[in-house]
Amino acid sequence: MLDHALLSAIIFTPGAVALALVFTPRRAETLSRVAGLLASLVTLALALLAWSRFDGANPDFQLVEVRTWLPTLGITYRLGVDGIALVLVLLTAFLQPLVFIATWSTIHDKVKGYITAMLLLESGILGAFLATDLFLFYIFWEVMLIPMYLIIGVWGGERRIYAAVKFVLFTLSGSVLMLVAILVLGWHLHGVTGTWSFAYEDFLHSPLPLGSGFWGNPQLLAFAAFALAFAIKVPVFPLHTWLPDAHVEAPTGGSIVLAGVLLKLGTFGLLRFGKPLFPTAWEQATPLFIALAVIGVVYGSLVAWAQRDIKKLVAYSSVAHMGFIVLGLFAGGVAATQGALLQMINHGLSTGALFMLVGVIYDRRHTRLIEDFGGLAKVMPLYTGAFMIATLSAIGLPGLNGFVGEFLILTGSWSTHPVAVAIAASGVVLGAIYMLSLVEKVFWNALTNPDNAHLADMTPREILAFAPLAVMMVWIGVHPATFLALSEAAVRRIIGG
Amino acid sequence: MNPVDFQAIAPELILIVAGCVLVLADAFVPRWRGTFGALTAAAAMIAVAARWMGPLPGAVFSDALNIDALARFVDSYVLLAVILVAVLAGPYLTRTGAQVGEFYALLLWAAVGAMVLGSSDHLLTVFVGLELLSICLYVLNAFHRGSLVSLEAGFKYLVVGAFASALLLFGIALVFGATGSFLLPSAGGALAARPVFGDPVLLAGLALIVAGASFKLAVVPFHAWAPDVYQGSPTPVTAFLSVVPKGVMLVLLARVVVHLAPHAATTHWVSLIAILAVLSQTLGNLVAIAQQDIKRMLAYSGIAHMGYALVGLAAYRPGAPAGGEGLTGVLVYLAAYTVMNVAAFAVVSAFSEGEEEQHLIADLAGQGWQRPVLAAVLAIAMFSLAGIPPTVGFIAKFMVFRAAVGQGLTWLAVIGVLNSFISAFFYLRVVFLLYMKPLPKRPPAFTDPWPTRLAAGACAFAVLAFGILPSWLVTAAETAARVFGR
Repeated sequence: MLDHALLSAIIFTPGAVALALVFTPRRAETLSRVAGLLASLVTLALALLAWSRFDGANPDFQLVEVRTWLPTLGITYRLGVDGIALVLVLLTAFLQPLVFIATWSTIHDKVKGYITAMLLLESGILGAFLATDLFLFYIFWEVMLIPMYLIIGVWGGERRIYAAVKFVLFTLSGSVLMLVAILVLGWHLHGVTGTWSFAYEDFLHSPLPLGSGFWGNPQLLAFAAFALAFAIKVPVFPLHTWLPDAHVEAPTGGSIVLAGVLLKLGTFGLLRFGKPLFPTAWEQATPLFIALAVIGVVYGSLVAWAQRDIKKLVAYSSVAHMGFIVLGLFAGGVAATQGALLQMINHGLSTGALFMLVGVIYDRRHTRLIEDFGGLAKVMPLYTGAFMIATLSAIGLPGLNGFVGEFLILTGSWSTHPVAVAIAASGVVLGAIYMLSLVEKVFWNALTNPDNAHLADMTPREILAFAPLAVMMVWIGVHPATFLALSEAAVRRIIGG
Repeated sequence: MNPVDFQAIAPELILIVAGCVLVLADAFVPRWRGTFGALTAAAAMIAVAARWMGPLPGAVFSDALNIDALARFVDSYVLLAVILVAVLAGPYLTRTGAQVGEFYALLLWAAVGAMVLGSSDHLLTVFVGLELLSICLYVLNAFHRGSLVSLEAGFKYLVVGAFASALLLFGIALVFGATGSFLLPSAGGALAARPVFGDPVLLAGLALIVAGASFKLAVVPFHAWAPDVYQGSPTPVTAFLSVVPKGVMLVLLARVVVHLAPHAATTHWVSLIAILAVLSQTLGNLVAIAQQDIKRMLAYSGIAHMGYALVGLAAYRPGAPAGGEGLTGVLVYLAAYTVMNVAAFAVVSAFSEGEEEQHLIADLAGQGWQRPVLAAVLAIAMFSLAGIPPTVGFIAKFMVFRAAVGQGLTWLAVIGVLNSFISAFFYLRVVFLLYMKPLPKRPPAFTDPWPTRLAAGACAFAVLAFGILPSWLVTAAETAARVFGR
């Protein structure tokens, strides 16, 4: 019984609690916080339950739920989880409670609204990972916009309005064309089979026809519409300009979710819909995306190196890391794709951790400028240790998670795209340079600024929020097979290997 | 003329009688005035119930009216608008000192006009319905006799409305001249029997009908009156004006398209409607960005929305199954537009200190945390108008764009979604002001009486409910659209 509604329960637990919160008194801030944390913990428990029911050897969608929704249009409420979706759902469900713990007392204003928006956002994200009907996927994809708009715009920093509007307009500009492409796919399938359906699996066997050029090629056009939506979300260079603004202006919790999970929707979308639905167009677009990915790696790293604001530095490092993931996806092959998927998780963990730690120092000093700090290792040893772990994870130190992902991507892509790998590998070096120089300036130099002399170290609450991330970084670094095994069958089905 | 005919128009009769009762009650028992809004809403509810429980005999009164699934659909949303506006109007008219029976009577009679216009294939009946609707609206627009802007609105609507009626009437005359019939199906039949492709009289007649209807729909380039009239009319009237006449006019246009277009100028027809659609969307959305007054902004937004709805009409192809995907899309669009637009105007009617004041968008600053219910309704309405799921506005756009893609008009769908993207800019600005701006130093003295919150909340609920579970609405629209194909 439970299996038939488990995925719905995962998606709608946060949303239902959010709706219930609407009817609670505005002043009951602790109630909102506790409810938010409990809702996210229950969601995590349900996600773990789904993991226990999941058969990693089976490449198909499991725990499938199908309900009629708009029968005359062939639109169904259709959920399913494969290995790819499962690891991302686990990541989402894992990060959300940590976000609530990390920002427990840092949001003072309109707490109820903040918790509500966060929970609605989580529902939207989980829904997008689990939907296996294109129409349903699109709904969840768009639903995420509104809470994120509010989170950035209401609880964000000084330039929050600009960042929020930019975020919405960028995201929306990509997704509206995806809607037309979904319609084109729907009519095409109707033409082939004579019946209406938007179910993902029905599209796998009847790709859109090919044509000549760009404008005369339906498959390439539809792929372009999908890819634009996903590329903006990833973001792929040169569509990344919304990201630094959104990340920097969002409150800490928003940044963690944005970097940790929201960006993964772009790469998830490329993996889920790109090659399976548009096989030929995918091949045609590969050189372009490989080039953009490599540019993103190098450019993101260089720009990150030049930043004076820690949060902005981490934001640009995201552009570089997401470039790696896109490289792995388009390079093809099981190893590179598995590496890309693992790197999505790794980036969620390490960048999520970095944003969380930037929040910790910002709460104490209300500045994020690198030059305001120096010598923090002397006053905040625990914090320094935590930041070191996150940094080493982000730059791919062997033994931690980042290494495994980058290694798989680079070795997996080597045989097909040696030049791209060679250039992207320089990004690994650059990553080490900008992250370690950040650490040096903030933690190791002389403690010259008297404001920093008496900073309190991490509180137990902050340690509680960070510790699970550190555990996962080590777990994946030492034994990545736990997660690689989950997704291998599903990845093989998509790659066709 | 048999008893079944009268049974079939029971809802119309109920409304006419209720209107008369209200006028008399106003004269003889003025102390009942406080209940008029509730009585009006009750009469409209009874009329809806009568329509849904009564027979659907099809053509009645010698083909003058068609009481069928389509008429039921149109009547339902017209009366839904009447109910909502009646609830809204109570506190509004009390505040502005115009709580009188005539207002409600005119509202009910306007609804009868709209229902007749929406449920007839006979061009003369159509014209009578249109005039009943329009004349009631001329008075309602200018209901604040003391207010110059209201008088200006009434006068503008009168002049433009009379002009549009004249165009429409002339067009009807020419179509009659070319086909020998006022009845659209037989006019179409006459054309089928005697091909008159490119007949100048017929084409001129069709063009005039389209122009007349376009005035009422306020599509570009026939839109110039809309912002002033929206701004000047009493807000509940604006709510009615923004959904009811437009909706029934679209249905009339759909009837003309279905019956006459297959035999006269099909391809020209598609390009004509498509051009109107593209112009309306683009101009409406672009100019809406620049508006300071929320009623004017909603006027331009309405211009754009009629553009989206026309996409469904452009995607009509004769012989398509189920009356055509496009017509279903148009009907879903009308229902969706009704609930989301009335939701917006319901909130606007609360967010104004006096009718003489401008309804500045900037006045909404910080209200999101001050008046959570109304602000949430307005935000939901804005998201719906922008076409962001899970709202009915998204479902409506999905339906019309789906039809367009299916008929090879993918470019029209692309322009449509790009326009939705542009429109997000000004719709989200309202949300931004509500939630992300602090309250001004001197907060405006807005009132939010419970009837307003009730009507607004009901609309917002419908926006979300039909957005999440659209099946019932889509099926009803499909059933109604099938009537076109008869």
